[in-house]
Amino acid sequence: MVEVQFFSLLRLLLKQDRISLPASKGETIMQLLQRMQEQLTTPFLHKLIDAEGGLHPGTIILVNRRNIHHLQGLQTPVNDQDVVAMFPPGAGG
Amino acid sequence: MESRYARQLVHWGDENQEKVAAASVLVAGVGGLGATVSQLLARAGIGRLYLVDDGIVDWPDLNRQLLYGEADIGRPKLQLAAERLHAINSSTDIVLLEGRINDAFRVPDGLTAVADCLDNYQSRFLLDALTPDGVYLVHGGLQGDHGQVLTLLSGRSQRLADIFAGATQPEGNIPVTPDSVAIISGLMTNELFATLFGQPKLLDRCLVISLIDFHISFLQV
Repeated sequence: MVEVQFFSLLRLLLKQDRISLPASKGETIMQLLQRMQEQLTTPFLHKLIDAEGGLHPGTIILVNRRNIHHLQGLQTPVNDQDVVAMFPPGAGG
Repeated sequence: MESRYARQLVHWGDENQEKVAAASVLVAGVGGLGATVSQLLARAGIGRLYLVDDGIVDWPDLNRQLLYGEADIGRPKLQLAAERLHAINSSTDIVLLEGRINDAFRVPDGLTAVADCLDNYQSRFLLDALTPDGVYLVHGGLQGDHGQVLTLLSGRSQRLADIFAGATQPEGNIPVTPDSVAIISGLMTNELFATLFGQPKLLDRCLVISLIDFHISFLQV
């Protein structure tokens, strides 16, 4: 299974703090997000992905604690037992 | 006459109070978060506070920056903060660092901890990168009803710039309310005391707070 954790505004939007999905061999983060969108009743991809297929700057995605910017971006592979976290941090002070 | 620290001594004891008195903390930014964090540290009897901020007090600051008032509009925050903190606790040594967090900024030697009370990612990332190995950095940030507090140990933890890679500063004014700033500042100070006592609770573990429904969660980083 792959565990996906939602924080802050994403948790509120989706009305849950996590979801577990069966791992799918060779799947990327982008494909996992699309699969989640089909499973969840609330559309959320537009909050994360822009019209060109890029990641919006407001949310960070970590796979096993590593930001996907330092992996393969949205093409980062996701494997069984991985933990994916999506978090829009607060920027102000 | 009772000691000014009598109420906290019965909670954390003489040994921890000595750690507070021996500590040197850099508070980066004395705006929303930093004005309260520095004040709480001074009230607790922190030994030395280094302050850095190049801002001047403006009207939109007054809703949450608890060291300043109407008569301070147009005056430099750094000098005002030093005056107010000295008036609160004259035993705290306050050292002002002029300028802003940039490549030329030099972090003082002998720090016990750094408080990231800044308001933009660029400066936050640079502050973390400049923090010497072995020194704790307590980060705080907020936006609207949401905020986070995270402790990193420089040289061992991931860099803030790596964790928050891709996060860019939102355009326009970031929504910040008096209560949310006070809550995140209080949590940051609580964690700063924990680091001074050698028992950080949020090391590589980001506390995520949603005030809209009083939900807290932890993001492992």
